[in-house]
Amino acid sequence: MQAMLAFENAPPFAAPLRFFLTAPLFAVLAGLLVAYEGPDIFASRWTPGALAATHLITIGFMLQVMLGALIQILPVVAGANLKRPLAVARSVHVGLSVGVLLLAAGLLSGTPTVLGSAALVLTLTVLLFLVVTIMALIDVPTTSPTIRGIKFALFSLAGVVGLGVVLALGLAYGWPLPLMALADLHAGWGLGGWAGVLLAAMAYVVVPMFQLTPGYPARASWWFPLFMLLMLLLWSLAILADWPLLARLAQLGAALAGIAFAGLTLRLQGKRRRARPDATYRYWQLGLIASIFALFLLSTVAVWPAAADIDGWSLAFGVLLVAGGFLPFITGMLYKIVPFLSWMHLQSSGQAKVPAPAMNKILSEAEMHRQMLAHAAALALLLAAIFFPVWLARPAGLAFAVANGWLWWNLACAIRRYRGHLADIEAALAARLAAQ
Amino acid sequence: MTTIRSFMTEDHRRCDDLFAEAEQAVSKGNLELALVAFGHFRSAMLAHFASEEKTLFPTFEAQTGMRQGPTQVMRMEHEQLRGLMDDAINALKTADAEEYLGQADTLVIMMQQHNMKEENMLYPMCDQHLTAELPAVLERLETELCD
Repeated sequence: MQAMLAFENAPPFAAPLRFFLTAPLFAVLAGLLVAYEGPDIFASRWTPGALAATHLITIGFMLQVMLGALIQILPVVAGANLKRPLAVARSVHVGLSVGVLLLAAGLLSGTPTVLGSAALVLTLTVLLFLVVTIMALIDVPTTSPTIRGIKFALFSLAGVVGLGVVLALGLAYGWPLPLMALADLHAGWGLGGWAGVLLAAMAYVVVPMFQLTPGYPARASWWFPLFMLLMLLLWSLAILADWPLLARLAQLGAALAGIAFAGLTLRLQGKRRRARPDATYRYWQLGLIASIFALFLLSTVAVWPAAADIDGWSLAFGVLLVAGGFLPFITGMLYKIVPFLSWMHLQSSGQAKVPAPAMNKILSEAEMHRQMLAHAAALALLLAAIFFPVWLARPAGLAFAVANGWLWWNLACAIRRYRGHLADIEAALAARLAAQ
Repeated sequence: MTTIRSFMTEDHRRCDDLFAEAEQAVSKGNLELALVAFGHFRSAMLAHFASEEKTLFPTFEAQTGMRQGPTQVMRMEHEQLRGLMDDAINALKTADAEEYLGQADTLVIMMQQHNMKEENMLYPMCDQHLTAELPAVLERLETELCD
């Protein structure tokens, strides 16, 4: 019966939409922070500004969209129904937004109570999300690599948040912790175990779907989430037992698995059968190439740790993987999801009597393409700013804010058109009814 | 062993291939060829819908008593897909490649998410509930779809 309900329980549009419309604003905030702090923010990955900007992007943008999209997609890909999706979406959305602002403020100011409240709000929010999704997934058998990926990613989400809380409290109250090693592990669980595995789980579905490519090979798809999880467990064990060599090996394993996944996706996209490359496809190409470079930097550090001390190495890794990899993947998907959900909701409100406009009437290719060029320019400036911070830090921050403000504008225009069409459809239905 | 899931999934992939042929023709600017290829795709899709609506769904409904459940939603989505295919073919007939690509994008995603629901949920449910009828149902589906 579980599966049957899923057919009709698509959550209301308002559930995922609130996440999609606020996420770009946090990326704008991160860009403005970089522009405000200027060259100092590029001194190292440990500056308060760099830490705050990073979390505005990873929690404010990435986690927002990921949780919002999961609320939408769990019924379709896994047959898992969340209880009261709209109420869950509202609470999680508010919790994440407040939590990330507190966290950014806490990291910038170093105020223990602010860091502590950020940790509390974010923990409760993610806990609520995890409880609701685990209740929905508990009876769902793992019949596809996508379902396995989602389950493992949720496990990693608990891991990254748990470590994040320890780090925030450690920082706030001066606990004697190996902060740097734990921060690396926290990033590993977040970017590899949560974001990376979730991305792969979604890619198995959306890459063939959007681009008409061949499917991912089954064996590799089943292995990737498991392998990534194993590497992170080994890495965690290595930190607990203080075995630096094992930590490096696990890092190398995770990086190579990521490179293999990105390389395979590039190869599949090369065999796509759509008539024309679109913004989603180009965004993914950018994301895949930037991720491969980033993971190459990471594997070099695993083999030769002294590389991490080279100026700009860690920052380049972070910028390439997050601003160059995950943001393009996510934006590329938003550019399909938002127009498609608009079309689907218009279609069902027309009750098969009034047709819905096609997706490109909601958001046109040209609008998406221009915004993508702005993002690519911002990425290039951010990378250059690592090496020429005095000249480029502020322009790079502004460019990043502009690119993400533009993304917000595009999505907001799409929703405005959606509402316009919805009003037209309702008027047409009312007119038909009156004529009968 | 052939199951409803494997057999019908195979037919989805065949429809995808036919759709891709039309896309290839559009990308080469040959709208006449695209119209022919899209016609093949549409016939294959309509045959697939028909065999589901006339053979598979009624058997499933009779066996499980679920008449208002998943099969009803799938019928509704078939209706939406028929509409999208009509719009796409009209765009090709008026040689409007731009309009076609807009329609095709919506069609691809609608079609793929519909297929995903069938392949991951409905077909496995059919395999599970129709064990006794399986050989007969498969035989009928094969004759309907392989003509």
